[in-house]
Amino acid sequence: MPKWYEEQGNESDVVISSRIRLARNFVKYPFSPKLSSEQAELLCEELHNRIDDNKAALEEVMGKYYYYSVSKANDIEKQALVERHIISNKLARKNQHAGVIMTEDESVSLMLNEDDHIRIQVIQNGLNLLPALEKANAIDDIISEFMQYAYDDKLGYLTSSPTNVGTGLRASVMVYLPALGSSDKLEKIIEEVNKYGVSIRGMYGEGNKSVAYIYQVSNMKTLGMSEVDTLENLTTIVEQIIKQERKRREYLLDTNFDKYEDQVYRSYGVLRYAKQITTADAMTLLAQIKFGFDSKIITSKEKTSFYKIMMAIQPANLQKILGKNAGTKEREKARAAFLNKNLPELV
Amino acid sequence: MLCDRCKKRDAKIYYTEVVNGEMKEQHLCEECAAECTQFHMNSTFVNKDISIGDILSSILGTYRGSTNQKADQGKNGNTEEPTKEKKTDHTLRCENCGMTYEQFLKEGKFGCHQCYHYFNKILSRSLKSLHGADAHVGKHPKGYVSDMKRIINELSEVEKMSILLQEAIEKEEFEEAARLRDAIRALKEKEREKQQDNTQPKKDEVNKEEINNA
Repeated sequence: MPKWYEEQGNESDVVISSRIRLARNFVKYPFSPKLSSEQAELLCEELHNRIDDNKAALEEVMGKYYYYSVSKANDIEKQALVERHIISNKLARKNQHAGVIMTEDESVSLMLNEDDHIRIQVIQNGLNLLPALEKANAIDDIISEFMQYAYDDKLGYLTSSPTNVGTGLRASVMVYLPALGSSDKLEKIIEEVNKYGVSIRGMYGEGNKSVAYIYQVSNMKTLGMSEVDTLENLTTIVEQIIKQERKRREYLLDTNFDKYEDQVYRSYGVLRYAKQITTADAMTLLAQIKFGFDSKIITSKEKTSFYKIMMAIQPANLQKILGKNAGTKEREKARAAFLNKNLPELV
Repeated sequence: MLCDRCKKRDAKIYYTEVVNGEMKEQHLCEECAAECTQFHMNSTFVNKDISIGDILSSILGTYRGSTNQKADQGKNGNTEEPTKEKKTDHTLRCENCGMTYEQFLKEGKFGCHQCYHYFNKILSRSLKSLHGADAHVGKHPKGYVSDMKRIINELSEVEKMSILLQEAIEKEEFEEAARLRDAIRALKEKEREKQQDNTQPKKDEVNKEEINNA
């Protein structure tokens, strides 16, 4: 079964993926700050069992799944899951019992004992927030029938952090903004969308100076706005960002085509023949090449998912491909070799 | 990459400082960064999202501060009030899991679902500043019955109909009101027969009057 990121979604020149996350807690257990290690173990066990009891219904919604005990996994395995966005950093670092239920295509994951008792996550490629929400809701409904959620008439779903209370919904769209990101336009956009309760953050690297110009656009508020309204608001804003990014790309190419053409070919050349390379450098160059393909400066025979390559060259996933632990230098060499081989052939 | 300053440890922090318009860029390790810049982060902070707890406690903290301030202002008039208010702040505690409000401020997280109930008074203001709202709109768990519905469900048939009757009168739907009035009467009659009480049956004049007045 192909992973969700191996296929390209709509608006793929700008949008990489849409993600829905629902935070839920159960009445039966204390929240994470007060959850003892024994209770954490019980929680994971009970949830895992109850989920398995409802396997048929759940698999009808999300496809074949399997359970993975995060607390028993080694560091590389855990980090590889984080790099592929299946689990959060927090879950990987949890020093209590923690687990994840994940599907084969990696589009659905249920994190057990993260900050909240369960976090339902659905990822889809392209700009597809509503279908992702529907899937998450269906899973949520099944769970709500076998264990009582902490829910309040006035405040909605009660979460361990008050920043998630209400819908418990965090919707985000991962976007690729090379043109806006390399100008001062993005900062103004960030300021503007903040007023509508939406945040934009760099996915890799710190702050607005994002490596590879990949950003995450997400809702900030969870109280006082329904799930569907939240998604509609976010989608409208992302569509605006897409429009502006495309306009900016057009402008950059109109005014300075030679410069960008040279940059794209140089990046391709480096990745094709480099002998060692760091993650950040490789990401930056891959982003340049993606820009080249999207703007038709270069073309290849087959369509390539750059995001798939970007995930494969992250430290832990690279070591998984290598099948062994590797130090920084060895990884840099392996990364270069992987890229030499896996870059799409130009025509 | 090694730290620019000590040249021993791995540089983990990319630090940009602008002094008098001049930009200085450095790659530093955590220790040197903490030492020579205003950068204070403990190792758990690195590579993590900005701690929500930090932001949260500043928001919640301001609210607490402002209530105290208000209380202080009222000192001239009433000396007892401010001390009382301060005291409640410190002793506020969830009786279910034992989490205190102070602890909650520190962690930015609740200890159990009951904390929402015990911290309700302070919380509703800060939730408003966090989310711009203090009430949930949207999904509820499948099969969930709200408190309001539960209360209505627990009412007797007569009580339910009386509410509907009141509603009909307010909406000036007199035909419906008359129908409800008769139905209530019939139900009450039945109950009376069941109980076989000797008490003098009272006629339900009140509702009739209300209908005529409306």
